[in-house]
Amino acid sequence: MAQAIRLVFSNYQYVILAVAIFVGLLIPLSIISEYIFLEPYVIGHIPQGNEFAFSLIIIVSALSGLVIAMNVFRIRMMRASKRKMSGSVIGSFIGAAAGACSCGPIGFAVISTFGSIGGIATSFLTTFEIPLRIGAIGLLVFVYYTTTRSLKIECQLNK
Amino acid sequence: MSTKGIVVAGITVAIVIGAIAIFASTQFGSETVNLDMGRTHGTISTAMGSPILGNPSAPITIVEFGDYQCERCYQWFHTTKPALVKDYIDTGKANLVFVDMALLGRDSPIAAQATYCAEDQGRYWEFHDMLYNSQEHIDNGWANSERLKAFAFSMDFDMELFNSCLDSGKYSKRVQYNISEARKNGATGTPTFFIIDADGGQQKISGAQPYSVFKSVIDSMI
Repeated sequence: MAQAIRLVFSNYQYVILAVAIFVGLLIPLSIISEYIFLEPYVIGHIPQGNEFAFSLIIIVSALSGLVIAMNVFRIRMMRASKRKMSGSVIGSFIGAAAGACSCGPIGFAVISTFGSIGGIATSFLTTFEIPLRIGAIGLLVFVYYTTTRSLKIECQLNK
Repeated sequence: MSTKGIVVAGITVAIVIGAIAIFASTQFGSETVNLDMGRTHGTISTAMGSPILGNPSAPITIVEFGDYQCERCYQWFHTTKPALVKDYIDTGKANLVFVDMALLGRDSPIAAQATYCAEDQGRYWEFHDMLYNSQEHIDNGWANSERLKAFAFSMDFDMELFNSCLDSGKYSKRVQYNISEARKNGATGTPTFFIIDADGGQQKISGAQPYSVFKSVIDSMI
């Protein structure tokens, strides 16, 4: 596994891509989940009892950065299939959607647009925020595992 | 001084102390039913909102748009609000009005209506606090009609009055008016706060932000 990571991230383009995905997910998710506020002052605030939920956001963002960058490498360098890429994107999307639709502007926009169905969806996402994020992490870990395995096989085949 | 003089002086002192106590409790402690149908704070019509918590003539008013089923409102209620009440509301520097933005679930509007049924019995804030102390997941039944009545029963309300109020939907339009007021003023989520000074200047704070943010904003406006 370490070999696969070394192989991908020996090219700094993929390090930059992974960091960009990590930051690009972490900051919007923290804003949507109300851990970062932009007005009236830029301030970060994790309410007591929300430490675990916040750490799940960090894990989802980090895994997304890692797995998506590795799959971009596979697709570009080895002309591999895009199936695993969609798995990682779905994992990231579930991790992002969970909890994003609570009391915040997105939740109310969904309710205003979709009425009672939107209300049911947002309440589901809010109620099961933590299990959904854990599920998303599970999916991303699975994609990471299969990606590193196929990278090993594909690299050996290419040798 | 004669005995008669001492008695008169004692009664006078007792009356003065009693009057001060009644005045103080009227100003800062107990709640006043909102009868001002033209009540506004800044650009917000709070006529259909909660009674004012704190000194009605305080230089700063905090308007909170909230939902009883909103988890972030619950967090704000338990983390930021106690310090604000202690430092600003109890000291007469600010007061607070709660305006319903009851949109999150099907039980949100009925929970909001129930608070006004409690207001009919002069106990709005007590019931408001009870709801935020009892919050569970959205629409899992914790804020349905039966549970709201159970809360009222446990708080020793006049149940005939409370039940008829809730069942009749007496305050349904009041809650709808408050929701439209939230939208009109650009509240896009709960909780959303507007800090309003005596001149009508106002500052919006979106989300369950920490006490330090409220302190900075309020202190800059006093």
